[in-house]
Amino acid sequence: MIAFDDVTLSFGRRVLFDNVTLNLRGGRVIGITGANGAGKSTFLKLAGKILQPDSGSVTLPAYKTIAAVSPEMKIYDDLTATENLKFFSRLRGKALTAEKLFELGSRVGLDMKTFGDARAGTFSTGMRQRLKFAVLLSVDADIWLLDEPTANLDDDGREKIFSEVQAAKSGKIILLATNDKAEVEICDEVIRLPL
Amino acid sequence: MTKSFGSRCEQIAAIVRKDFLIGLRRRATFAAMMMFALTAVASLSLSTGGSFVEPKILSAMLWVVIFFAASAGISGTFDDEAQACTLPTLKLYAAAQAILFGKMAGVLLSLIALTTFILPIFLILFDVAVENFFLLTTTLLAGLVGLSAAGTLTAALTTSATVKGGLFPILLFPVTLPIFLPAIALTEAAFTGAAFEASALVVIAAFDAILILASSILYDYL
Amino acid sequence: MNKILILLTLAIIAAIIFLVPPIKGLGDLAKIIFFHVPTAWVSVIAFFASAFFAAKFLRTRDFSFDVLSARAASLGFVFVLLSTISGAIFSKLTWGAYWNWDPRQTTIFVLILIYGAYLTLRAAVSDEKVRAKVSAVYSLLSVLTVPFLVFILPRMYFSLHPSPVLNSAGRVDMDSTVLIVLIAAVVDATLIFIQLMRRDSS
Repeated sequence: MIAFDDVTLSFGRRVLFDNVTLNLRGGRVIGITGANGAGKSTFLKLAGKILQPDSGSVTLPAYKTIAAVSPEMKIYDDLTATENLKFFSRLRGKALTAEKLFELGSRVGLDMKTFGDARAGTFSTGMRQRLKFAVLLSVDADIWLLDEPTANLDDDGREKIFSEVQAAKSGKIILLATNDKAEVEICDEVIRLPL
Repeated sequence: MTKSFGSRCEQIAAIVRKDFLIGLRRRATFAAMMMFALTAVASLSLSTGGSFVEPKILSAMLWVVIFFAASAGISGTFDDEAQACTLPTLKLYAAAQAILFGKMAGVLLSLIALTTFILPIFLILFDVAVENFFLLTTTLLAGLVGLSAAGTLTAALTTSATVKGGLFPILLFPVTLPIFLPAIALTEAAFTGAAFEASALVVIAAFDAILILASSILYDYL
Repeated sequence: MNKILILLTLAIIAAIIFLVPPIKGLGDLAKIIFFHVPTAWVSVIAFFASAFFAAKFLRTRDFSFDVLSARAASLGFVFVLLSTISGAIFSKLTWGAYWNWDPRQTTIFVLILIYGAYLTLRAAVSDEKVRAKVSAVYSLLSVLTVPFLVFILPRMYFSLHPSPVLNSAGRVDMDSTVLIVLIAAVVDATLIFIQLMRRDSS
């Protein structure tokens, strides 16, 4: 459970969150929706303690790891797909075998035989998005922060990612910030942020 | 404790390796640093035209070249990643201290490479006979360690600046002055073979330690 | 408080002009030393005050400490410039050169560089929250250099600074009136600094 306790955050004069207190429970996909500028991405950053509130506190369960897919978090264009995956999983103390790499690739629909040694910079936006999701899967984190995870993906990519999210949700806390109808549909619960 | 220390070291190693790979593939930063140093040494050498330059001036020139070439090379340590939007990803997946020390180690290695490249050229062009090579190496190494520590934290500071032109050396210079002053004196002694104050070396080493410790503490507040 | 301070300042200026005997062989303009020493003192005080408030800000995240830290640095910058200029004039009168890189001149020059760098950094960061954090960190990083410089510089550079005329060793030479006026001037300058810090923060 992620607990927001009296969280206040403002940017300049604009108060984005004013004394927000709420609990985010695990085992389900929690959608975060709201108009542009309502603070969906900021909400995810607060939940992941990537951003500190002006006042109040966010409490995460002890010893829980976080992974994220977000337009603001890119992977290394100068590294190959394999190197990106190996780098991030090594940061979390996981060594990836060749089989594991291929398995991760097939789960997100990225053929590692063909694209494993290509630099991520040469990928299309959709392929990069799939690779980012593969990175998320590779580190096996307890908390997933997904910011528009299927934007730029084709139907095949969407299906693969939706099924991964559904399969993973028990035992994890999954937050999904989106305004996309299909993404909202897979959420078990939706928090709508007021503007 | 030991487990977290081990995983910290593994993270640091992974970051150094990653930066090295990217540095090899995207040679621009490294090439710019080397060329900056070469241009500076060439212009100094051309303007003195082979006439005798005092060892004191020579050692000061060497450190000025290293300082500004280093500034050109390491100011983007964090900023390159911030521009590419990979810094938030790195910060999410790695511990803050591992990022700091990984970057610091990378900066130190690139500064050692820079010095290894420019020192022979400098010595040849100015026709310097080094009398005490051990002292020269020790001084350079001790100086570069402090420069890396202060430079890495300063690079983290300038990442959030909207106006960056020239900011990095302005911030770095006063902070590294306690290294440069004794280092220049020691380098002069290494050139001439004159007796030197060992306490100057101790001062540099102590300041290195303080800079590393301070960077580590202060980075957590950023 | 303000009025008392103005009166005190005027009294000290009067004392410097009328009470203090002319410094031997240096002429009346050399009395600029009564301006130089207090401003130098305040620029050092302001530097440590800025670092102190920076540390308080990082601990509490209370932005009023950031304001105080910035204010101390801005005031310190003004004082350090005044001190450097008055010191250079005194140096010219006494030793015939405006500048000679003696340890204390070097220290104050480094102080100018640090203040300048700090203020440039503040100007270069537009986001308020980030600016507060980043400048506090720089303030604390730069304060570390001071003890080292105080230790290193006297060994590196030959000093011309006047221990014989002004410092403890020269107490025999120094008229007790001069000493009292000088101490009063230092106290006065410190009070002016505190007053400026308080007025601007409220």
